[in-house]
Amino acid sequence: MAELTSFSYRPRISLIHKIDARFKLLFIVIIGFLSLKASLPSVLLLSVFVVYGLVRIGISIWQVVRDLYIFIFFLAFVFAIRAFSAGGAVFITIFEMGLTYEGLIEGSLVCLRIILMILLGLLFTSTTRIAEVKAAIDWIFKPLPFISGSRVSTMTGLMMRFIPVILEQARETASAQKARSIENRKNPVYRMVKFSVPLIERIFYNAGRISMAMEARCYSDMRTGQKLSSTMNDWITLIVILLIGIISVLFL
Amino acid sequence: MNIIEIKELSHMFSNGTLVLDKIDFSVKKGEFIVIAGPNGSGKTTLLRHLNGLLFPTGGTVMVDGVSVSEDPVRARRIVGMVFQDSDTQIIGETVREDVAFGPENLCLGRKEIEQRTSEALRITGLTCMVDSRPHLLSGGEKRRLAIAGVLAMKPDVLTFDEPFSNLDYPGTRQVLKQIIELHKSGCTIIITTHDLEKVIAHADRLIIMKDGKIVRAGFPEQIISDAELFGIKEPYFSRMGLGMISWLS
Repeated sequence: MAELTSFSYRPRISLIHKIDARFKLLFIVIIGFLSLKASLPSVLLLSVFVVYGLVRIGISIWQVVRDLYIFIFFLAFVFAIRAFSAGGAVFITIFEMGLTYEGLIEGSLVCLRIILMILLGLLFTSTTRIAEVKAAIDWIFKPLPFISGSRVSTMTGLMMRFIPVILEQARETASAQKARSIENRKNPVYRMVKFSVPLIERIFYNAGRISMAMEARCYSDMRTGQKLSSTMNDWITLIVILLIGIISVLFL
Repeated sequence: MNIIEIKELSHMFSNGTLVLDKIDFSVKKGEFIVIAGPNGSGKTTLLRHLNGLLFPTGGTVMVDGVSVSEDPVRARRIVGMVFQDSDTQIIGETVREDVAFGPENLCLGRKEIEQRTSEALRITGLTCMVDSRPHLLSGGEKRRLAIAGVLAMKPDVLTFDEPFSNLDYPGTRQVLKQIIELHKSGCTIIITTHDLEKVIAHADRLIIMKDGKIVRAGFPEQIISDAELFGIKEPYFSRMGLGMISWLS
């Protein structure tokens, strides 16, 4: 038996699962734009709502942290750049670079916005079937001329299909290297190269095998799609999200 | 009537390796064929020519009278393939979705898709797992799911690439039983393996491959004793002169 990665669909009966995929995409866009205008407490509040949603559908936050631990280094880097580059009164100097209170706030805000978008993406992929995502994207692109909605949706569907595969491969590669005492090598560049080269090779190899298996089952962008239908719940959720957004931007 | 006809099939990889060298054979409707050979003998490459996943660099492959190169999609509808690694074959997020993947690709109506999905799940005994996550199933269940996914497309020919690899004893028996039932229901079966013991008792014909060539072909009883000449283990029952003994008996 395999262990699930965080970015996998989890079949459950929940309100979030039942929401139409088109509305979910709209919610991501709305929250994304709101977070750009929102202050630190507002983004924090929105993040709390998303984390609550993740916990409700049974996702372990520790597993998310474990799956995305490499990303934490990226966030730390972004935070450090922001914290040391923003203007304001310097209260600590490290290697001739001044750390400011404004920088700390700005760095935290940028990192929190990125985290919010990742968590939203996670909530979306965990509660939406790829077939529904494909159907939603197809619906969005249908009125646009010169863009094949079915092709864009197929590409998106394939991308979503491969995210858990990539995470699984990363986990297996890391385990295999730990089993051969990679921790004894202290040079991070050496470790990075030894991790990323075989990982990329394996990802391409497995992508080739999966696409061959899909081809064997006549996969193309012309296929019977999922039917989408919106309900009263979707509209109520939209109003609630708009209200939360407006309140958090205006009053926090 | 021959459902598959292969004439002088050759395949060369882009690095110049000749993987298949002038292969000739045909498959009758309803036959059960085992293709045996050591690793690297070209078994998987041969299977991939039957449903247009690979195209010949020489010779022809005809499925139901039409060249696979001319109409690979038609060939894929007629010849279903169960891959060696079930994990790469499983596409859906639930068991039901995975089985429905093939019929959806055939652009069937939703009702027909539901019917075919339920039927394939019933045949493979997975009805009670319709909403399970495929990647959390056991090895034997995954292999049966891969079979269900192909069955839902209602192919005439079922090809299995090393169907018993990585399976424990109960899993092997489950899958073998499934294959035999499918054969009894009228499907043409082609299996590649390097482990004859598990399946040979049920085969109508045995083909032995080595280095991309067919080196022996005929009734299993007549040629099985030559298997070890080509790097394949001769089954214990054959070596001891006990005749053909099924793993299900």
